[in-house]
Amino acid sequence: MLMQIIKDTMFLQMKQSFVRPMFRFCLIANPIVNTIFLYEMYLQKGADTFLNYVVLGAGLMGIWSCICFSSIGDINRERYSGTLALIYVAPGGFGKIIFGKVLGNTMLSLLTFVISYITACVLSAFTWGEESSGIEKFLSTIIHIENIGYFIFASVMLILTFVLISICFAFILMLSRKTELYMNLLEIPLIFICGFTFPVEVLPQWIQNISNCLAPTWAVRMLRSSQMNWESFGILCIELLVLLLLTWVLYKWVDRRIRINATLEVS
Amino acid sequence: MKNVIEVKNLKREYVTTKGWISRKKESLMAVAGIDFSVKEGEIFGLLGENGAGKTTTIKMLITLLAPTSGVCNVLGYDTFKEADKVRGQINFVFGGEMGVYRRLSARDNLLYFAGLYKIKGEEAKRRTEELLKLVELEAASDRLVETYSKGMIQRLQIARGLINNPKIIFMDEPTVGLDPLGANMLREIIRKLKAEGKTVLLTTHYMQEADDLCDHIAIIHKGKIVAQDTPKQLKVRFGKNGADSTLEEVFLCLCKS
Ligand SMILES: Nc1ncnc2c1ncn2[C@@H]1O[C@H](COP(=O)(O)OP(=O)(O)OP(=O)(O)O)[C@@H](O)[C@H]1O
Ligand SMILES: [Mg+2]
Repeated sequence: MLMQIIKDTMFLQMKQSFVRPMFRFCLIANPIVNTIFLYEMYLQKGADTFLNYVVLGAGLMGIWSCICFSSIGDINRERYSGTLALIYVAPGGFGKIIFGKVLGNTMLSLLTFVISYITACVLSAFTWGEESSGIEKFLSTIIHIENIGYFIFASVMLILTFVLISICFAFILMLSRKTELYMNLLEIPLIFICGFTFPVEVLPQWIQNISNCLAPTWAVRMLRSSQMNWESFGILCIELLVLLLLTWVLYKWVDRRIRINATLEVS
Repeated sequence: MKNVIEVKNLKREYVTTKGWISRKKESLMAVAGIDFSVKEGEIFGLLGENGAGKTTTIKMLITLLAPTSGVCNVLGYDTFKEADKVRGQINFVFGGEMGVYRRLSARDNLLYFAGLYKIKGEEAKRRTEELLKLVELEAASDRLVETYSKGMIQRLQIARGLINNPKIIFMDEPTVGLDPLGANMLREIIRKLKAEGKTVLLTTHYMQEADDLCDHIAIIHKGKIVAQDTPKQLKVRFGKNGADSTLEEVFLCLCKS
């Protein structure tokens, strides 16, 4: 039954998200544009950066903006359409419903990787049209993932990280609809701080200290390295555990506060 | 008959903050200490002018809002502390066009909510078809709710409110925006629910409707209950022409003062 609620909600969410132009923009147009920019920026840098910083970079930016602008905004949309109150009082429990929603959106937004990958392929075919060595170099790095098993494992960790973060924000949004505003402010800084498009190491030390406290930094590091790095994995696990704990505390707290503050509806 | 709803000295205050720099707090006592109880199998009407506190009262009963103070029990459980025990056994219908997924069909809406109320596959399908028939939405059941008229959305809401076969159903202005046929259909549904032994608590601004349907009526004015009785007794007690007066006269008499 628990799985049923999560599954139903996930598919409902995917359906609803996909018909929304803003989500499609974040999902499709955004990664294409970002891939083009990153591609041009990294053109001089040698082929090994392509997978790591062009394709993964644009994909990560895409996922993150799907989360900031869409997954999170969904709570407000449900608030304005009056369904937020309904799902809150449903006996299935709103925690599961939020989880299903976030999972649906996150899965759907993984498409950004595919889009940015295709864009990068097309671009390289154009840019290096004559120099066949360029294409070969590019394709060999981009397609050649050294350890598929590890890559999938790292991707799962990344999804887990984004899901947990989105759930936290969704809960806070249930409490205050202003959260959406702060999410818009957070969008760009997080891209830099967590090293989605540039290595964190280029940032000043004090920002790096912040970066290291954030789980996405480590999830991205894991995704970029070609084999298991136990140190990154360990730190990520600890940070995810803290995040999980925070989510749980937030869940309990929000469940009380929304009824006391009457924040589920607009009236 | 036992009491399924018990409310004692129930209060609810809304606190809102205003301004950017010097944040001023404003508070409003929406429900200012009310008492009433509803017996099993009864249709109970909550009447009152706009802003009287009817919706606020219902929200506290359906576990959506925490009372500021007082007792608020449904089926013997505290609606704030024991919300989990209440939620599966009750349901509610709010009037208007809110509270449906507009990008889904009526059938998908009902199936989804059936899932949220932990109703399993076959049972959910059976229940959905039954309810679509009850509210006469079978023909349109596969169209997106976006394309529905106001009254159709309203009927879908009613179906949604019955999805878990609730013991108590709360209806906040369920007939608002319905044509006479739709309103009549709803009144028939409410009577049928009563015949099945269910309890209904409803608010309405149509006095005739309340008079026709309700076994008991409470009139609420500025967050306080000013009168509470059977429709007949209310007329006898407050109407100019005794039992021959209309409920509207009673309402005007009580709420003007
Ligand atoms: N979320 C809220 N925050 C602040 N004040 C609120 C909130 N909801 C309702 N109120 C106020 O509480 C009072 C009672 O509102 P309520 O919605 O319970 O009235 P009502 O009896 O349902 O009226 P109506 O017949 O218009 O639906 C009103 O003065 C309203 O402005
Ligand atoms: Mg109301």
